[in-house]
Amino acid sequence: MTREYQQIDEGLIKELRKISGEKAVIYEDKEQLSAYAKDEAGGEYYAHMPDAVVKPASAEEILSIVKLANKYGIPITPRGAGSGLSGAAVPIYGGIVLSLERMNNIIEIDKTNMVAVVEPGVVTNDLCKRVAEEGLYYAGYPMSVETSFIGGNVATNAGGSKVIKYGNTGHHVLGIETVLGYGDIVEFGGKRRKDSSGYNFINIMVGSEGTLGIFTKIYLNLIPLPGKTVDLLIPFRSLDEAIANVAITIKESSVLPTAVEFIDKISVELGSRYNNTTLPYQEEATAYLIVQFEGRTKKELEEIYEKAGKVSLENGAIDVFIADNRTFSEKIWRIRRNWLEGLKAFDPYVPTGDVVVPTAKIPDIMEFIQKTSKKYSVTIPVAGHAADGNLHPAPMKPQKMPPKEWMKVSEEILKEIALAAARLGGAVSGEHGIGFIKKGLLPVTKKKEFELMKIIKEDFDPNYIMNPGKLF
Amino acid sequence: MKIAILVKQVPATDKVKINKETGTMIRENLESELNPLDMYAVEEAVRLKEKYEKTKVIAISMGPPFAKDVLKDAISMGADEGYLVSDRKFGGADTWATAYTLKKAIEKLGGFDIIFTGERATDGETGQVGPSLATQLDLPILTYVSKIRELSNESIVVERTIEGGKEVVSSELPVVLSVVKEINEPRIPNFSGKMKAKKAEIPTLTAKDLDVDPEKIGLFGSPTRVVNVYYPKMTRKGVIIKSKDPEAAVDELIKFLKEKDII
Ligand SMILES: Cc1cc2nc3c(=O)[nH]c(=O)nc-3n(C[C@H](O)[C@H](O)[C@H](O)COP(=O)(O)OP(=O)(O)OC[C@H]3O[C@@H](n4cnc5c(N)ncnc54)[C@H](O)[C@@H]3O)c2cc1C
Repeated sequence: MTREYQQIDEGLIKELRKISGEKAVIYEDKEQLSAYAKDEAGGEYYAHMPDAVVKPASAEEILSIVKLANKYGIPITPRGAGSGLSGAAVPIYGGIVLSLERMNNIIEIDKTNMVAVVEPGVVTNDLCKRVAEEGLYYAGYPMSVETSFIGGNVATNAGGSKVIKYGNTGHHVLGIETVLGYGDIVEFGGKRRKDSSGYNFINIMVGSEGTLGIFTKIYLNLIPLPGKTVDLLIPFRSLDEAIANVAITIKESSVLPTAVEFIDKISVELGSRYNNTTLPYQEEATAYLIVQFEGRTKKELEEIYEKAGKVSLENGAIDVFIADNRTFSEKIWRIRRNWLEGLKAFDPYVPTGDVVVPTAKIPDIMEFIQKTSKKYSVTIPVAGHAADGNLHPAPMKPQKMPPKEWMKVSEEILKEIALAAARLGGAVSGEHGIGFIKKGLLPVTKKKEFELMKIIKEDFDPNYIMNPGKLF
Repeated sequence: MKIAILVKQVPATDKVKINKETGTMIRENLESELNPLDMYAVEEAVRLKEKYEKTKVIAISMGPPFAKDVLKDAISMGADEGYLVSDRKFGGADTWATAYTLKKAIEKLGGFDIIFTGERATDGETGQVGPSLATQLDLPILTYVSKIRELSNESIVVERTIEGGKEVVSSELPVVLSVVKEINEPRIPNFSGKMKAKKAEIPTLTAKDLDVDPEKIGLFGSPTRVVNVYYPKMTRKGVIIKSKDPEAAVDELIKFLKEKDII
């Protein structure tokens, strides 16, 4: 859903500079503009130059910018850290990239209410560290935690490795102040944990990928710091055994793990080369699970890992490795956290798929991925958040194929896998969003919902200036 | 062969906080862990055990009663036994008094061919205990060992990391070795290792057991005093190379780095 957009001219730039200041507007400087032309999906291949970048410092400034954009018919692409994997922050219609990088204040940590109030440009990990100083915990944890912004996390409903226990980003959001596309500042929710007075607009804004409005303030739920953790690294000879173990481990250890991550052989092989390390049984194992538990005391953790370890060994695990100090934990998690970088070191063009299925259907989607891999003669490493049924297949370019052709082929591969996931009762995106890369898949897989989404879009953003070309 | 590994429990933190008034480390409220650099010593000892039949690996730590945990960590990685050297009287020992006390423990347990230590403990950062122990035991010490090349019942050949390269040194046994990170990649303990560690009894060796000279232990027996501990000030001087031509800028950068002997 787009319309005819107007070109930015000197006059508009003057007005933008009046709103946000001389330095906060980038115009005509190609080198600086190009830094805002892409996100982490496909890099240069999907890049599109913005005509201008504005870095506002307040909701009021953003409101003025949105009003101007409505008046002149200029598209606005909100941008967080640009770590997105669906092209959602790429200004495919040019216009203004509205970067939230300057709005990076942690406004308040309300210890009594256990709520953090933040501006959208706060780096996720900065918030985690800051609240930890107060003995509190923000449970959002995408693997990009060290770069992504809270605003971007909310706009994509980011997941990560702690979703099985704490839920995805949407679960932590208690309130959102936003400048809506039609040009008004509205606050949904706030420092309250409950609200049954009318429609829940927060849930509509979460995951809206900048197509309805720009978040300017976010209220986040905090919980007490969970204490100690232990990580189990569990190699399996077969994929099926690994997957079957996810449910068994959760059930039998009678404690909900914080994380259950899956990583396959080829990912471990490339990841360990990239990280200059090795994991045990790299030759023998086809798949690994990384399971993390939290506990108050060392003793409690011991009891948990004893149970979980025993269950895994009884159910086909080659062995169970137990990391209860920082050195060993880091060794395990580094491979998972740097998974994508690890693949990119060997293939800079590697795109990251993101599908979700009911957990019981993981073997089916894995089988489909393997079939697709054979059909196209393409290696497809897979990692993912196993307990969520959320997998990331990442097809790697065959050496001889030219990049341009590869982008087409890989899009086709990922589309087939995404549609298969939807057929299995899943969805075409679990946590990375639709952006423009997957937008064709929404009307196919969520026909009626898609029509309703359009109605909401038209009401919130009647001139289609908010992040056009995404979702719709 | 009989091998000892000396391990220490340290605060689980990257940057030790210092009490400005007393000049001592703040240890309260900190989780503790096996000194990360000692893991390389444990791993190397366990690898020797796996390679040479009839090798016994014994981990020894001096510390408070809860330092038993790090001995269990060593056992979980493959050490056979752990001994805790612990007594209120040992409290406040400097590196010399610590080395003296450990020497007594080594003598008591008897007959080691190799004594491994980590490069240094990440809390005190001195790296002195290993060499001091060797001196007091009148044994050769090979520091910064990055590879064991050869080992027989009588002698050992190792590579040492030195500034600008490697040094190959041989020594007779018994010997004290302090190892660096490059030597290996410590294993993550597996389930059965953890279970073995859980069941393991860790005997405590007290001042009485070791028959120590009371004048040489603890704070009282320490010839040195820490007067003050502080972080050196780090100053950075940022230089920005400004040039329109990127190639010229790179040339200038290379010249700069060469002048500073960095490349
Ligand atoms: C190495 C790596 C690992 C990753 N791991 C995970 C993972 O585990 N789980 C996961 O879910 N994702 C993951 N991602 C994807 C990405 O980090 C997330 O989607 C993240 O939430 C994006 O945040 P961002 O600040 O970079 O947003 P951007 O990429 O800048 O933007 C994403 C979308 O949010 C919109 N947006 C940003 N800020 C605002 C705002 N204030 N108001 C309205 N809209 C806004 C943009 O318009 C765009 O549509 C990973 C990415 C990388 C590179």
